[in-house]
Amino acid sequence: MAYDASRDPRQDVRERIYLPELIRGLAVTTRHFLRNLFGQRDTNVNVLNRKGTSLVTTVQYPEERVPYPPGYRGLHRLVPREDGKPRCVACYMCATVCPAQCIYIEAGEYDPGDPAAESRVIEKFPTTFVIDELRCIVCGFCVEACPKDAIRMDTTKHAPSEYTREGFVYDIPKLLQGPSVSHPSDPWNRRDGSKPPAHQEFEPHARISKP
Amino acid sequence: MPRALVIVGAMVFILFAIAGLMAAVYALAALLPSAGRLPQIVVLMLVFVMVIASLLTIAERKWSAMIQDRIGPNRARIDLPLLRDRPLGGVPHLAADALKMLFKEDFVPKRANNFLFNLAPILAFGPVFALFAIIPVGPTLKLMGRDVPMVIATPDFGVLFLFAIASLAVYGTSLAGWSSNNKLALLGGVRASSQMIAYEVALGLSLVGMMIAFSTVQVPQMLEGQARYLWQFSRDFDFGLPAWGIFLQPVGLVLFFAAAFAETKRTPFDLPEGDSEIIGYFVEYSGMKFGMFMISEFVEVVVLAGVTTALFFGGYHLPFGEQWLARQEPFASSPWLLGAILGTVFWIKVIVLCWLQLAIRWTFPRFRYDQIQSLGWKMLLPAGLLNVFITGALVLWDPSLRAIAVVGLIEIAIVAALTARGTEEHPAKIASPGASTPDAAALTAASRAGHG
Repeated sequence: MAYDASRDPRQDVRERIYLPELIRGLAVTTRHFLRNLFGQRDTNVNVLNRKGTSLVTTVQYPEERVPYPPGYRGLHRLVPREDGKPRCVACYMCATVCPAQCIYIEAGEYDPGDPAAESRVIEKFPTTFVIDELRCIVCGFCVEACPKDAIRMDTTKHAPSEYTREGFVYDIPKLLQGPSVSHPSDPWNRRDGSKPPAHQEFEPHARISKP
Repeated sequence: MPRALVIVGAMVFILFAIAGLMAAVYALAALLPSAGRLPQIVVLMLVFVMVIASLLTIAERKWSAMIQDRIGPNRARIDLPLLRDRPLGGVPHLAADALKMLFKEDFVPKRANNFLFNLAPILAFGPVFALFAIIPVGPTLKLMGRDVPMVIATPDFGVLFLFAIASLAVYGTSLAGWSSNNKLALLGGVRASSQMIAYEVALGLSLVGMMIAFSTVQVPQMLEGQARYLWQFSRDFDFGLPAWGIFLQPVGLVLFFAAAFAETKRTPFDLPEGDSEIIGYFVEYSGMKFGMFMISEFVEVVVLAGVTTALFFGGYHLPFGEQWLARQEPFASSPWLLGAILGTVFWIKVIVLCWLQLAIRWTFPRFRYDQIQSLGWKMLLPAGLLNVFITGALVLWDPSLRAIAVVGLIEIAIVAALTARGTEEHPAKIASPGASTPDAAALTAASRAGHG
């Protein structure tokens, strides 16, 4: 019942008497009330596709969540390799590009004499990798700068809750999470006699988490 | 389980609870003759009125949410195994609100008049609460050899009690506004007093028509009058047009409802509160003192619904079939059963009218202050006077009340016809037959042609 704006309320007897228009207004609210009182609420998180009798469009947040768009920048994570260690090679690119200077890295070095295969293809690794999430401005530059696809913001988590400011300083155990990622171009995959990983067709920028 | 079934089940449960309580109060009053009307006072006022009023605080939030396509309060839960995951319609918020109000700091502003500041919530709550005393909730029954009335007081001055006590409530609000030592509160208090004075007159005049029609000022006699039929179509199962106030005095009903609504200080008339610009006369109150103001507002809603039910909607009387029902077997031998059913009818009407008041509050925007005054003095007061004269003349001409019923029905029909008339008969649309239904395709084509 859209209101006709071309109508002059001063010339309308219903508006002058006032009571009929009041009753019509009450009819509108009553219709909404009855539909929402007796109607089943559709909990489809895609509000536009809701089909229920109830007109409520609320998404009740903690129980119902709208899926995040693919480009959403959430909390950081350090991407693990398939053996569980971080992909990070401590190149300081992210710490350098970070406009908020919230990333702090201390690099460690593999012993060249170590017989482990890893030490022959990777020189450095982070001994400390700390992100101060309170300083972070969630710009995503670190993700763009990383040459090793070792830091991502695809956790779809935001607004973590902590009791102290110190709790927001995330270190490697907190950051290292999520599905592991492996690329054919990774040095440990380019070793002699290594097989290309099964997900080669998704190279180079596709997300491993949804094959 | 579908939601509609749950809602209907809850409604049926509430109806049975009301009927059971009404039967209990009849039984209590019959079994305790020495207690006088104490059972009625306790059950009707402390149980029924207070419970409905406090549930209305939740209902206002929940119903307004439904009117505005929201969900409303549902986060307070009871941490018990079966109830943990159920919002229970938001009712647990009642406990949360009450606890919050009880434990908040009881703040008294500096240089406020301490005595009056503490007295004002009591003065606002007391008179409103006392108003319910004259409303008959059920019929007077002969139980265990004596008459058991279901009304707390039947003073000789009847409805005049209503006017006298209702106008006392303004002392609470204006004293709260004055004693708070706050300019906004004072503004709210002044607005409250002038609005109350403006609507007091219309409130009094609106009921004069009913007093003339039933030639009494006592509510029980008015209810007896409304139990009669103006036109009865069937003898055995009594069916007809009852002499309810809404058919005799539709203008009186509208005037009374509008004026009493202004007395409750709720939204179309919530100038004393004025949530958006002045917080109102209770701006300095916190904790349970504020809670007193708030609960007195909802008690006023219940009382207004009760008074309107008793005076205009036949009180506890059924619209038809009541005498037939009283002759049927389980009711003829045990009248308390009939009393419980009729009491339930009364409370159903009260709850529906409470709902109507809340729906009005969430439908209509607030009047401007000058509009309030001109509505009170220039519209309601002359209309009330006119109503008194017309009713008086018609009752003199035809004491059987059929003449004013015909006039009342004509008035109702006119308003109904004006309301039902659709917007499609709009003059502007009729005046332009060529472009009567400009559909979207034609509009886009026209705009394209204009641009091309």
